[in-house]
Amino acid sequence: MAEKTPRKAKEEPEAAKPPAPETPAPETTPESALHESKEAGTGGGYVAPAGAEGAAAEAGASDVFEIAVLPLQQTTMFPGTVIPLAAGRPRSVTAVEAALSTEEKLLACVTVREDRASVESEATPPADLYEVGTLVMIKRMMRSPDGLQLIVHGTERVRVVRWTQTDPHLRARVRILTAPVVRDPDAVEALTRNVQALVQRALAMLPEIPPEVRTAVLSATDPVQLAYFLGSILNLGVEQEQQMLQADTVDELLQIAYGRLAHEIDIMELRTKIAAEAQGEMTKAQRDYFLRQQMKAIQKELGDDEGGEEAEAEMLRERLGEADLPEEVRKEADRELRRLERLPQAAPDYHVIRTWLEYIIELPWNKSSEDRLDLTAARAVLDEDHYGLEEIKERILEFLAVVKLRRDSKSPILCFVGPPGVGKTSLGMSVARALGRKFERLSLGGVRDEAELRGHRRTYIGAMPGRIVQALRRSGVNNPVMMLDEIDKLGNDFRGDPASALLEILDPQQNHTFRDHYLDLPFDLSKVFFIATANQLAPIPSPLRDRMEIIGLAGYSDQEKLHIARRYLVPRQARENGLDEGRLEITDAAISLISARYTREAGVRQLERTVGRVARKAALRIAEGEVERIRVDADDVKDLLGAPRFYPEEARKELPTGVATGMAWTETGGQLLFIEATLLPGSSGLQLTGQLGEVMQESARAARSYLWSHGSEFGLDPQMFKNYGMHVHVPAGAIPKDGPSAGVAITSAFASLMTGRRVRNDTAMTGEITLSGLVFPVGGVKEKVLAAHRAGLRRVVLPARNEPDTEDIPKDVRGELEMVFVSRIGEALDQTLEKLVAQPPPPADPQAEEARAAQQQKQALPEPEPVRARGR
Amino acid sequence: MAKSIERYLRMMPKTSGLRCSENFWYPAADVYKARGGWVVKVELAGVEPDELEVEISGDTLRVGGVRRDESVSESVSFHQLEITYSRFEKTIRFPCPVEGALVERRYKDGLLVLYLRSPEECD
Repeated sequence: MAEKTPRKAKEEPEAAKPPAPETPAPETTPESALHESKEAGTGGGYVAPAGAEGAAAEAGASDVFEIAVLPLQQTTMFPGTVIPLAAGRPRSVTAVEAALSTEEKLLACVTVREDRASVESEATPPADLYEVGTLVMIKRMMRSPDGLQLIVHGTERVRVVRWTQTDPHLRARVRILTAPVVRDPDAVEALTRNVQALVQRALAMLPEIPPEVRTAVLSATDPVQLAYFLGSILNLGVEQEQQMLQADTVDELLQIAYGRLAHEIDIMELRTKIAAEAQGEMTKAQRDYFLRQQMKAIQKELGDDEGGEEAEAEMLRERLGEADLPEEVRKEADRELRRLERLPQAAPDYHVIRTWLEYIIELPWNKSSEDRLDLTAARAVLDEDHYGLEEIKERILEFLAVVKLRRDSKSPILCFVGPPGVGKTSLGMSVARALGRKFERLSLGGVRDEAELRGHRRTYIGAMPGRIVQALRRSGVNNPVMMLDEIDKLGNDFRGDPASALLEILDPQQNHTFRDHYLDLPFDLSKVFFIATANQLAPIPSPLRDRMEIIGLAGYSDQEKLHIARRYLVPRQARENGLDEGRLEITDAAISLISARYTREAGVRQLERTVGRVARKAALRIAEGEVERIRVDADDVKDLLGAPRFYPEEARKELPTGVATGMAWTETGGQLLFIEATLLPGSSGLQLTGQLGEVMQESARAARSYLWSHGSEFGLDPQMFKNYGMHVHVPAGAIPKDGPSAGVAITSAFASLMTGRRVRNDTAMTGEITLSGLVFPVGGVKEKVLAAHRAGLRRVVLPARNEPDTEDIPKDVRGELEMVFVSRIGEALDQTLEKLVAQPPPPADPQAEEARAAQQQKQALPEPEPVRARGR
Repeated sequence: MAKSIERYLRMMPKTSGLRCSENFWYPAADVYKARGGWVVKVELAGVEPDELEVEISGDTLRVGGVRRDESVSESVSFHQLEITYSRFEKTIRFPCPVEGALVERRYKDGLLVLYLRSPEECD
């Protein structure tokens, strides 16, 4: 366009022209710039009143001409800028086509007012358009399925003078507006520099812009061009853009551009700042991660880390998957495993959880061993290991029978009570063997902390499960025979009370959900066969005693010891000392001698040791080549073992008046007890010596009081009690004694003293007395009777109500004994005292008979010392 | 914004300092230094050779003119537009004055070739 005035005549190519040869390029690839084109609006159906008046008036202005109008939506075209557009609606397409059919390819782009922005496909009436637009030249046009893609180049600002047509596209008469003018050159200069400074700042924040573009932007010195350029790239909104377009002065134009650019830059700077902060955080996280990876690599180099945490967690997961766990346990274990995976290996919790998980995996939650339900085989096993002990064997077989009938029956909780060495522990093992179960033994002696049984909570450092759970893990099954050894020796003080913890473990009603503090998960103990052992029942708290089935193991009789020695001890000791079958023979007589004269016990430990000594001596002789085989008879024992260490505890042959043979129970079995009483002339009251306990002292007082009050029944002078004091002594003086069972013996001694009738020296007695003259039953009858039998006594006086206990006494002993059962003191005295008055008692009134009394005492003095009977 | 700037600038003809509506395209030109003068070749297809304006002043050669779309008529419509039809102007600056040079012009196959025989030798 050489001339500045648009060619009016040429603008309207109404005249028919020869159709141009079809020349569109076959390629349809739009230029790269086109893909982001803006949508142009459509012209409306508004029929403009044909300007009858305007044409002539406006024709005067040389700049007025008619042209096709393209409505723009949400964008504004500025002169001097190049922008891609898309025309999709029929009206727009028609407008563009009309412009293209002119030689100049010019088009007026007018923006649709923002508030009237029409809905898609709705025709825009001319009233909705601004009046100022931009004359553009179409530089490129392509057809695409959606319509036309254009690249237009803005040239001049135009003002719509009059709408001339709305169909098929908008047309208007427009006048070219002059370029904005400079009002205040200094202000324009200042604003221009400011804008340029801002542009530089903006470019500094946009490193991705190539350098040639930078130079181009920075070299743009024309303020108008710069402002229009900014207007087209900044997101100003239709209204502000239109304001810029309509600005007639450069001052105003720059003002708007500057304000907007400054705002935009503020936002950019803020964004950069936010991005930088985010980057900073990210970098720290990345650094940590990097360092951790490095540490892992170092650990791997050092060989500390076999496969790393993941591998370990994976291994645990695998093992958990294989383990047979109850639902509740699996859920808990999975949860802990997930926690473990999130923890670094260095975390203190890591190892706690890992150990815990390993415990969970290894515990036999559902694993049981199969019981051997063959009753005959079980019987054989029990008999093979132990002689006698019929009651226990019976009980085990009963249990087996029940299991045979009902698979899920609860295991019993037994308690073996008996003196040391009678085989409680070995019996437990043999029970396990008979049932075909695993055997686990926990020694409770001295345990004083309930945490030993029930574990520590996992929160404590070094926490461990209790012994019960540990034993279960060791055994690998949930139904072992678990022996709680020495349950009577549990500690119980301010440091803890483990017996109370046992209450839960040993209660069949509760122990199917036993909760160890460490596991904190219920474990079913109801299948465990608990066997507790104790030497004494008394120290066991009664609630605990109540939960167990008490089975007493009394000491063995001589006969039983002989059997045991013959069947078990001698062969075992021979074996242990390297003497083959048949090399060593110990005769029954020798065994009896050893057990009677070289040992004193209820069990057989000492006997076994002594047999061991014999076996060693024999081994020595054989090794020296003196003999091939040895047969030890009673006569040889002394040679081998030296002089006998114990003398049989024999009854005193001669009993003076006031001495009675009682029977005592000790942990090592029964014993004879001699009650010695004397009268003290000129004294009164009762003296008691020999380490007698409270109960025994009271028993003695009760005996005295009973005889005093019932003196007439036994031919006693009540004056005696007033005029004579009494002294009771029970040897051996150093051994403490207690219990009420000596009541009958004390009464007999007193009565003997008062009546002068001696207590029968072939009779041993036991029984508690009451003030009303009754004889009450006592415990330990079997041991007591066995002791009396051992001592050579052949007659025992027992409380009538103890008669059932005598069933336990071995038959051979029972056959040799005369057992007298009494229920009143009168009966007892009839049975214990001799009929004859061997030595008349001192006169009831000593003052009158002082001389005689002195004589009596003199005669009492040469009373012979008790003579130990030799040989039986 | 960076993207839009870049796109914009890539499409912008390098028209710094020019009045908006003046020129829309700038034909490509090769300039050869030859013995005794210059050869200027301008890519000017579809231009009426007689309408070309060639001016020389000082060290500047200016080629101007208009490319008209002869094919437009009522019965045809564009399917694709890639050629710019408008007034054009090409200004070439030489390292030494060329005013007074003898200009011989030849238009062939859409190329305008100008031979400038410069009176002064330029080194």
